[in-house]
Amino acid sequence: MTLSSMSSASSNGEVTATDTTARGPLLLLLGSALLWLVISGVLALVTSIQLVHPTFLAECPVFSYGRAQALQESAFIYGWAANAGLAIGLWVLGRLGGEPLRALNWVVVGTLFWNTALAVGLVGIATGGATSIAFLQLPGYVQPAMLFAYAAIGVTGVLAWLGRRNPCTFASQWYAVAALFLFPWIFSAAQVMLIWSPVRGTLQAVAGGWFAQSAWTLWLAPLGLAGAYYVVAKIKGRVLSSYDFAPHAFWCLLVLGAFTGGRHLVGGPVPAWIPSVAIVSCSLLLFNYFVVFLNLRGAFGAGGTALKLIAFGLAAYVFGGLVDAITAFRSVALITQFTHFDTAQQQLALYGGFSMMIFGAIYYAVPRLTGRAWASAGLTSGHRIAVSLGVVLLVVSLGMAGWIQGHDLNDAKVSFTDIATHTRPWLLAAVAAQGLLLGANLLLLVNFAMSACLSCCSAAPTDPTLFRQPSTMEVSAS
Amino acid sequence: MRNGPLFFLGLFITLSLSWAGTVLLSQHQLGALAPYYDEGESKSFPDSLSGIAARGQLVYADLGCAACHTQAVRRPDFGADQARGWGERQSVARDYIYQTHVQLGAMRLGPDLTNLAGRKPTPFDTEDLMKLLYTGMIPGTKVLTHPPYAFLFEDRKVVGEISAKALKFADGITAAPGHEIVPTERAQSLVAYLLSLNNTYDYPESRPVAPEKKDGEKHDAAAPKAAPAPGAAPAPKEEGKK
Repeated sequence: MTLSSMSSASSNGEVTATDTTARGPLLLLLGSALLWLVISGVLALVTSIQLVHPTFLAECPVFSYGRAQALQESAFIYGWAANAGLAIGLWVLGRLGGEPLRALNWVVVGTLFWNTALAVGLVGIATGGATSIAFLQLPGYVQPAMLFAYAAIGVTGVLAWLGRRNPCTFASQWYAVAALFLFPWIFSAAQVMLIWSPVRGTLQAVAGGWFAQSAWTLWLAPLGLAGAYYVVAKIKGRVLSSYDFAPHAFWCLLVLGAFTGGRHLVGGPVPAWIPSVAIVSCSLLLFNYFVVFLNLRGAFGAGGTALKLIAFGLAAYVFGGLVDAITAFRSVALITQFTHFDTAQQQLALYGGFSMMIFGAIYYAVPRLTGRAWASAGLTSGHRIAVSLGVVLLVVSLGMAGWIQGHDLNDAKVSFTDIATHTRPWLLAAVAAQGLLLGANLLLLVNFAMSACLSCCSAAPTDPTLFRQPSTMEVSAS
Repeated sequence: MRNGPLFFLGLFITLSLSWAGTVLLSQHQLGALAPYYDEGESKSFPDSLSGIAARGQLVYADLGCAACHTQAVRRPDFGADQARGWGERQSVARDYIYQTHVQLGAMRLGPDLTNLAGRKPTPFDTEDLMKLLYTGMIPGTKVLTHPPYAFLFEDRKVVGEISAKALKFADGITAAPGHEIVPTERAQSLVAYLLSLNNTYDYPESRPVAPEKKDGEKHDAAAPKAAPAPGAAPAPKEEGKK
């Protein structure tokens, strides 16, 4: 399939009809995503300071550590990850479907409702409405609204999938469609089991673990991979290596992914087979990480902001899977369970894996959506370098803090005051990392706002200097 | 993957598989777990939460206490939970059947709270917990171990007599002259909830998994009510870090 056949009237063959028609709605999704990313960055800075300085904002009930952490997590997942992931997912489906996206008004309406509901939910958490369930902290009263808003956004993706010009599909389409369809199911199932008609006793922990893991393996990871598979194939301009294995990796992730959630319950008051199944699934899931690595290995060593970020994201995704498999074993979980190490693994997946892949896809998509290059090359490379350093520093410092904390917790003679003293240097490093990440993401927000404004304010686009020659894009899309 | 409906069916089946495999199966296994009736005591366990404690559990949830505290003691050979004096047996699913908001937690920045009211030798009382929440320091110490949550208390002018609920400070910490520090209703519910956390009753299923210790002397699986290893358990009052 060639994309040149559907080029718009634009002077540049890189910009397709999908891009020009979807410009407004997708930029709205991306803009709100970046705003939430900065807000969650501020909150992450607050919670990381509270870890080394417990009195910080302690007199303010809105920012008690538990609430600030719930706010940060919700803003990150439902604000940044959902908006950005949906924007990239829809864009990929539109481009590979071969027709301009339809029902875009629904995307605008859905985005406005989703973000309004999220804002109301965050105010709810700050004033005492948090559910205290990981990944599902938003108060019950906004959750149905978010489900409907999501459905409105998803309509476009469903239409793009059903109306695709080519019955053959590509790996990025599978991942995008799977994420689009599966999230409403897991989200509504979790609402019923945990909010509206809670299951009994520790089954809540089992259901909560299933939801939190599904939100990562069946929703966010596929969205990130959809962007990565698309951009790597487009920029490299040839069939991905070992592409025949891609379907197996896809189904492996979908079948096994959600089973791995039980590893956090090892030793807990739940049936012992739940963590056992999770440990086995974690090891089997390595097949997915291995094949994804083989498929996308062309991203390594390549130039360009988008591919560099995706290569980082890919490395973090694969490394995260490996660490999950190792820490799932009971002898290792004994040290890492209930510590900062768990947080480090979560950040490795969400920031290192998902967000970096999505950043890469954003750097590739936005110039095509706006029809002009990024406003500032300096801000672009500044963001790339700062965010890469920030993620490495954050994961390493939290991982070290968690490792020390885990050993100390297993020694009954070490008091909690001593544990705090031992982990303090690493937690201070984590504060620096959060500051760096916040600064980096501010650069991206400014760069995005400038690019979006330029495309709105001036009618005639200049020659996008960052684009490659359109002729080289006339290759198989995936 | 040309066939759209088949692909969609595949998505549905994979999701149902993981849901059925984790949630439905464990629901089948634990969903009908009943309280345990002890004929010796003519009473069934666990106790259900009192009204004020149930409200306190909501305060526990809305403040996000689970971000730092777990509520599950693991078995003796898995971690130092029992050596730290957090409980004398592992937590079992039956402990939680009456809780509407189960808060197992995933992080231990502070001690486990499963058995806060059953600690040996002397558990915290209401006054201790109130002071801990207000000052962030365990009464009798000068080390900040918990964020001070003064917003759970009211600093008000004394009108007439000092309230019976007002905190009675020692160690030089006092309210402003003519003022008193009184716990709000939220603080009272929270503390009532914390003091309802007591897992000292032994269920049949909470006994067997403790392995024989290598030295074989101080462990007896048939008598799990025996005190934790002597000397290893710090007194509960020495614990507590945010």
